Amino acid sequence: MKRLVRSEGYARARLVTGALFVVLGIAVIVRTFAAAGLSGQAIPACVLGLAMILLGGFRFRDYAAARRARP
Amino acid sequence: MRSGRRRISLGRAGTQTHVLATADITRKPTQEPTLRRSVTPWGSFSWGYSDVGADIFVGLGLVLGAAAGASNVAFLFAGIVYVCIGLAYTELAAAYPVAGGGQYFVFRGLGDIFGFIAGWAVLLDFTIDIVLFAWSCIDYLSKLVPILSFVDHPWVHFIVVFAVIAGLALLNIIGVRESSAFNEFVSGLDVVSETLILFFGFLFAFQPQLLVHTMTFSWPTPFNLMNGVSLAIISFVGLESISQAAQETQRPASVIPRTSISLILTILIFALAYSNLALGMQPWHAIPPDAHGHAQPLWKYLGNENNNGAAVAVLASYVPYYGHLAAYYVPVLGAILLLISSNSGVFGSSRIAYAMSGTQLLPSIFQRVHKKYRTPAVSIVTFCGFAIIELIFAALPSLSPPVHYVYSRLFRGEDGITFLGDLYAFGAAASYSFVFIALIALRLNDSQSPRRFKMPFNIPFTYRGNRVEFPVVAVIGFFGIVSILVFTMITHEIGRVAGPLWIFFGLLGYLFYRRRKKLPVFRSQPHDWRKAQINILQEAGELEMMDEYLVNVKDMDARRVSATAETLR
Repeated sequence: MKRLVRSEGYARARLVTGALFVVLGIAVIVRTFAAAGLSGQAIPACVLGLAMILLGGFRFRDYAAARRARP
Repeated sequence: MRSGRRRISLGRAGTQTHVLATADITRKPTQEPTLRRSVTPWGSFSWGYSDVGADIFVGLGLVLGAAAGASNVAFLFAGIVYVCIGLAYTELAAAYPVAGGGQYFVFRGLGDIFGFIAGWAVLLDFTIDIVLFAWSCIDYLSKLVPILSFVDHPWVHFIVVFAVIAGLALLNIIGVRESSAFNEFVSGLDVVSETLILFFGFLFAFQPQLLVHTMTFSWPTPFNLMNGVSLAIISFVGLESISQAAQETQRPASVIPRTSISLILTILIFALAYSNLALGMQPWHAIPPDAHGHAQPLWKYLGNENNNGAAVAVLASYVPYYGHLAAYYVPVLGAILLLISSNSGVFGSSRIAYAMSGTQLLPSIFQRVHKKYRTPAVSIVTFCGFAIIELIFAALPSLSPPVHYVYSRLFRGEDGITFLGDLYAFGAAASYSFVFIALIALRLNDSQSPRRFKMPFNIPFTYRGNRVEFPVVAVIGFFGIVSILVFTMITHEIGRVAGPLWIFFGLLGYLFYRRRKKLPVFRSQPHDWRKAQINILQEAGELEMMDEYLVNVKDMDARRVSATAETLR
């Protein structure tokens, strides 16, 4: 497991899922706004979308940090 | 194990093999065995995930049953509070990387008596953790093995949960525990599985119009919403593991913040995603009608008595395409994760009791180790005993019709799993409230300790001659968790009685014990926190932080001396 999480492939997989989280987060926000407009009912789904984008952002950052750390 | 040496379970039983520390039984307190620092960033994440990640498997169904169309709002409110708690634990665990979690932070920040109350509330949570997760583990398995169903076969369910708790206690006394690799594998598999459920659900079945419709027409009463919020917090309990992992993590000050933020976000996303999916997902196949033969929406089906103990598995089975596969393995995966969590309750309670006993907050009997297996057997047996008493209270209404009548009259007919949820929410809210106050106190009184991670939004000012930063987020989190504590007291008939009673009797025992030992009852014993902090940072390998701490302490002492000289002049 340790070998797996230290591999280049794992870092890339996290980058890909991070990108997917960003896309999904944007899709959730856009679709919710389209259906509910600027109402209170849109807030929980929009916060979910934002959290997904944030998680994707963190994965990008981790990937960049891992690349920088490689010799 | 060689004779004359003891093996004490200084790590997390459920998950880590590296925790077995060996020490001479005759060692003095200053020569206490220390934990091997072998937890990697992934290990740290999976450790926390296996504790907190399992909570949504229990919480989802309970919240849907209580908050109906506002379940996502309940999860959002509890989630915001959870983010504040997570940030607080991250800051404290990175600054004070010792096992003990909230109990240690409160003990250090607020003194002995509050340290006891926080630790006693955490112990309540750990004992509930043992029962609730063992109960839910069997609920998940019942989706594949119907004879284990609590609704149809309450006696079988009760006996199996009882056996699971007894078995876990025995394994912990013997000192058998699963490997950290197994834990990391299960956590990894679960993250992948939940991500797939989420992707398939949002891509192929999520209907925002349906979500808006459900929220509009199934909005609960304020009482039920408060009930839902108080139950939603149980989906985010287990942050103690962040600090427990800190003591065994390599370079905790840099690793803990990175893994904690990722953990906090992941758990928040799963909780919000499941609740939004449950309210706004078009199920892939038909939902069975209710008891009266009427069609029912997905959220209602997930929150009913049959499914609320295994809601994630049922939800997963209704996800398009992936649901076929998920229906078979999610119950098993959920059951394994819940069993790991239940086991961490057995170990966590004995570990906290052991630590509290070492600081004379609990009698020394809790430090007694088994002659043969060298494990804290008294603590394990005591807290597993409490867990079994709680199990009996939770299961009785379903096992005996007269008791069911009494519960209906006195407690509005709360069922077993809700009873456990009540107490879990009470214990968590009580201990987290103290952690926020401790964080503020430590920011003011221990500004010399370097903090590699700080909660955002701070107000700098001078306090007793030192520049300190007042944490605004801690205040927001404190009011959030106190409101959840108030919601728990208002809405939970059993929780409002049993929770305070637990604290009251614990406090009574504490006062009796301290008086008998001729220790200060309401005041704290003298502690050399400077020496303690230097030891902590040295053991953590955070030598830069230790140097920074020594410089800060020297500066502060010099300022005090010059201030005193100024005054005398």
